[in-house]
Amino acid sequence: MSQDIAFRDVCKSFGTTIALSHFAIAVQDGELVTLLGPSGCGKSTALRIAAGFEVADSGDVSIGMSSVIALPPSKRGIGMVFQNYSLFPHLTVRENLEFGMRVRRIARAQRTARVDELLELVRLGGLADRYPHQVSGGQQQRVALARALAVQPRVLLLDEPLSALDATVRVEVRDEIRRIQRESGIATLFVTHDQEEALAISDRICVMRDGRVEQVGTPQAVYRFPSTPFVARFVGKVNDLEVELRSSTTVRLRDHAMEIAIPSTTLSAGEARLLVRPEDVRLVSIREPQALHGVVENLHFGGATTAVDVAVTGTGQVVRVSDVTRAVHAGVGEAVGVILDTERALVTRQ
Amino acid sequence: MRATRLVWWLVLVVVGLFYLVPMLSMARFAFQRIPVIKLSLDNVFDRWTVEPLFDTFGDPNFRKAALLSVMLAVATAVATSVLLLPTMVVAHLRSSRARKLIEVSAVLPFVVPAIALVVGFAGAFRNTFPFLIRHPLGLVPLYVITALPFTHRTLENGLAALDLRTLVNASRSLGAGWVRTMVAVIAPNMRASIATASFLAFTVVLGEFTIASLLLKNTLPLYLAYAQGQSPQGAFAVGLVLVVISTVFVALSNRFARTVKT
Repeated sequence: MSQDIAFRDVCKSFGTTIALSHFAIAVQDGELVTLLGPSGCGKSTALRIAAGFEVADSGDVSIGMSSVIALPPSKRGIGMVFQNYSLFPHLTVRENLEFGMRVRRIARAQRTARVDELLELVRLGGLADRYPHQVSGGQQQRVALARALAVQPRVLLLDEPLSALDATVRVEVRDEIRRIQRESGIATLFVTHDQEEALAISDRICVMRDGRVEQVGTPQAVYRFPSTPFVARFVGKVNDLEVELRSSTTVRLRDHAMEIAIPSTTLSAGEARLLVRPEDVRLVSIREPQALHGVVENLHFGGATTAVDVAVTGTGQVVRVSDVTRAVHAGVGEAVGVILDTERALVTRQ
Repeated sequence: MRATRLVWWLVLVVVGLFYLVPMLSMARFAFQRIPVIKLSLDNVFDRWTVEPLFDTFGDPNFRKAALLSVMLAVATAVATSVLLLPTMVVAHLRSSRARKLIEVSAVLPFVVPAIALVVGFAGAFRNTFPFLIRHPLGLVPLYVITALPFTHRTLENGLAALDLRTLVNASRSLGAGWVRTMVAVIAPNMRASIATASFLAFTVVLGEFTIASLLLKNTLPLYLAYAQGQSPQGAFAVGLVLVVISTVFVALSNRFARTVKT
């Protein structure tokens, strides 16, 4: 597989604020990579540098085999979809799609055929003659995607394209983007701060923090095997428990006598935090020998499953248990037991 | 509520009269073949004629002055759009400091007297670019500056109503350079503001007297001042027509502004 876009050691600062620090990642042909992180982590800056809207202080960006760092945005061969609705208000949907092709002086017949093909691809065939204000937000973003694809770019850059949409439309457009990206086979860099969105759409996720890459991996790897406490906390939900590290393989919940086995750690004994996913906690009978005892504090009904918050007796700490299908039987205030499956847990000082 | 409405109507009527009475008086003076001293309510509808207007239209000096003024007005409107709009777009995108500087500079013509402007302009260009002093088109830069408080505000409102950065970035990402982005994306979305700014620039030029007088250019306002001595009725008739034209332009610009908002 060839690398369609690659960042090499890119640094960028705004005054004293470091937006990107030695940022490096490569997106392969046909792959969708998501840059995920909290606001201000540098993900949009990375995308804007790739597009040519920001100038990197150092480092290089290449598209295909050649460096584009010195090229203006119009010469980079990118397609971009923006967070805000970016369709040209004075042009119809068809004219918007034709814009990039007109710039490239593509013949009218070819333009018309390509626009029809793209409208088919984004399933908006009947809207060609409407103006942007006459179509919905979701449709506008689909047209924007089609417009970006119209110029047959080497790389597609998506800058939080779903953030202006409401929840239902968001999921629809997200799935549509994924389908279109797969069909077109174009290397795509997708920016979002929404971890659910990232997990659902990506081939790989690049989790960023303070301008640096924290972890790059498949959604499953990032979720199941977070390499840092930040990733564990940021991607998905996690039980963040105060523990006392007794040895390299055992901890005790604060103010609790029971020892819990953990994966081997290099940390020295002392105060620490244990990060365990809610789905790695089991709700069991209070009579279960290895169970921590507690009381159901809250139930979060989610349709097919329910999440249960259990206050562990004597510790003042609450453990969330997710995907509990039989939780309907555990009412608030009921005494229950919980078992932590710590095989994939992280122990950290922070 | 009713009292407020009454006050509102009262203000409207007073303002309307303040505007209309002089216009009607001007119209009577210009278009009635009755000596001023004999004008009264009894002869409001007597002996109306457009002859003084046509007499003035027939004067070659008038035609020359009118043509020059219209040419200057068009050139000023075009120069304003071509120079000011791209400058403001770049300032919006690149530098908020430059934007503030333009904003402050734009109101300076309100406080700098026209005579100071002309003295500075003549002093700066008499030896370097004498063409600007000699040729009537040399007035255009001065008129662009004079109209700036109106044109800048109008264009600024238009730019503020656009998601400028996103539109520019979208256009650039599709392969368009700066010129195409300006012509094919920004200008069409600013057409209402550009039209309004052009109307205002046009109106300012049609009424400007001091600068043209100081630089000895025979524009329409200068002709009218001169014609008042020769044929006062004709001068007032043309003056009235100019007021009507200006009013139409202002109304049109308001209409455009409303179209933008909806």
